Amino acid sequence: MSTTTLPPDGFNAAPKLADVLPPRKERGRIGMFIYRHPTIAVGGFMVSLFVLMAIFAPLLWTVDPTALAPARRTRPPSAQWWFGTDMLGRDVYSRVVYGARISLIVGFATAIISAVIGLTIGLISGFIRAVDAVVMRVMDGLMSIPSILLAIAMMALTRASVENVIIALVIADVPRVARLVRGVVLTLREQPYVEAAVAAGTRTPMIIWKHILPNTLAPVTVQATFFCASAMISEATLSFIGAGTPPIIPSWGNIMAEGRALWQVKPYIVFFPAIFLSITVLSVNLLGDGLRDALDPRMAKRI
Amino acid sequence: MFAYTVRRVIATIPVMGVVALFVFSLLYLAPGDPAAIIAGDQATPEDVERIRASLGLDRPFLVRFLEWLFRVLQGDLGVSIFTNLPVAHMIKQRLEPTFSLMALTLAIALTFAIPMGVLAAWKQGTWIDRLVMVFAVLGFSVPVFVVGYLLAYTFALQLDWFPVQGYTPIANGLGGWLSNLMLPAVALGGVFIALIARITRATMLEVLSQDYVRTAKAKGVGQRAILFVHALKNAAVPIITIIGLGFAGLIGGAVVTESVFAIPGVGRLVVDAILRRDYPVIQGVVLMFSFVYVIVNLIVDLLYTVFDPRIRY
Repeated sequence: MSTTTLPPDGFNAAPKLADVLPPRKERGRIGMFIYRHPTIAVGGFMVSLFVLMAIFAPLLWTVDPTALAPARRTRPPSAQWWFGTDMLGRDVYSRVVYGARISLIVGFATAIISAVIGLTIGLISGFIRAVDAVVMRVMDGLMSIPSILLAIAMMALTRASVENVIIALVIADVPRVARLVRGVVLTLREQPYVEAAVAAGTRTPMIIWKHILPNTLAPVTVQATFFCASAMISEATLSFIGAGTPPIIPSWGNIMAEGRALWQVKPYIVFFPAIFLSITVLSVNLLGDGLRDALDPRMAKRI
Repeated sequence: MFAYTVRRVIATIPVMGVVALFVFSLLYLAPGDPAAIIAGDQATPEDVERIRASLGLDRPFLVRFLEWLFRVLQGDLGVSIFTNLPVAHMIKQRLEPTFSLMALTLAIALTFAIPMGVLAAWKQGTWIDRLVMVFAVLGFSVPVFVVGYLLAYTFALQLDWFPVQGYTPIANGLGGWLSNLMLPAVALGGVFIALIARITRATMLEVLSQDYVRTAKAKGVGQRAILFVHALKNAAVPIITIIGLGFAGLIGGAVVTESVFAIPGVGRLVVDAILRRDYPVIQGVVLMFSFVYVIVNLIVDLLYTVFDPRIRY
């Protein structure tokens, strides 16, 4: 910069560049990321907020969410009980904050476990013809049971627990991941570089690991994000109809289920968890939309 | 066409077979003793034994499965543990409200979603487009029962335009039937509108960039004719595909919506059955709804050839 020589006097007649062009906005790396992927930034930020809320629930001015206090039943929202109290006198605010834990655990666990299992099944059946025919028939069958009903049937036969809710939702989601991965594998198998690897004598596990798996990760990540959102809705739905998380654990679905009997007179018991659930699911969906646009432009164009 | 139809119908048999096998073997796959879980904590050992025998858990799996399958094929879905009534009969009594709700939801969703998607694609990038997309994301994110309560609170409790809950059979007059079902159908329709509007927009965008659309524009075909005659007809296949696939969500949503609005349909039946752990009823409802879902998708597959004559099998 110091070597730049200034033009002699009289050459300043031409306007400086800055006067013609609008000032170029300087963005840092984070600023650039937010500018290019606004939905990932907003969704990611909101999801992190809810995760922090779930982790630090005891520090967020909450009281024991299961503490009964029959003397102060169904108090409306006030300075002392921010979201009011339910029919057993429990603090709705504390229950809602703690309820985030169940929603997030179920959402993340279902998404990760079904992505891993579905990925494995999809990779194997995309590569081994003999397995493919049988496995895909089973997957088709499982997929034709509406997932809430599949979960209801399984929850009716087991004792209510968060683990069982996750297992039921995973079984409903696995076929969808497997189908997606299998589709990707089938197109990748025909790619010249995979054929070249086969011709060069690379062994199948190595081809899957080196050439196929990396290409399936983007669509599976996107899919998993949407499964996370739908698992949160499913958990709340199952708890709401009495086939989900055991009633003793405060989850958003459970709080709404308990508020159901009184909702016409005390609507806040239902509405506070409903708002939290909706915003959490919205954040995860925004993150998913952003990830899809960023990672998988071909898919983004189609949907 | 005939050969294709036959082939598609035959292809649904293994799918339904897997559904039946899965729903049946859940009794055996479930961890712990299902008879004890169904009987509940206060049950005596005799109760547990009685339930075990009535579910046939004391006999070999394969024998029991084939027996059960044979009876299901004849329309016998077993007997409820709680009421001792035939499950098929219990379901049949509850079909009308559920199918009414689903039909009205579908009608509302299609009426709003397709024009919304077409409009968003036509006005791509404008605030109309953005509004439709925001609505779509919201539709996916706000659970059906939350929308249900919100609508019931606003339009039934506060404004008193519709009844809060309940159901009027269609035989008692169309007005009562419609006013009872309006809020549930709109609540349930939200997700469906989001789904269909989004796919309509996406496929319309693709179709609108085709050469024949440009040709139509060049020769002076009106905007409306281009959108609804030239473009929408060609976008029909993805749209009806998503309607078929979305039917699973419609079924799941109906179960919850019926609980919110106290509609005495199949969904209520299954929710009541959960509380009583009445597995034969749950099994019957799952089988029935899966069958409906498979049939709907079979119809969708057959409709492809109607909407797109290029598809030949």
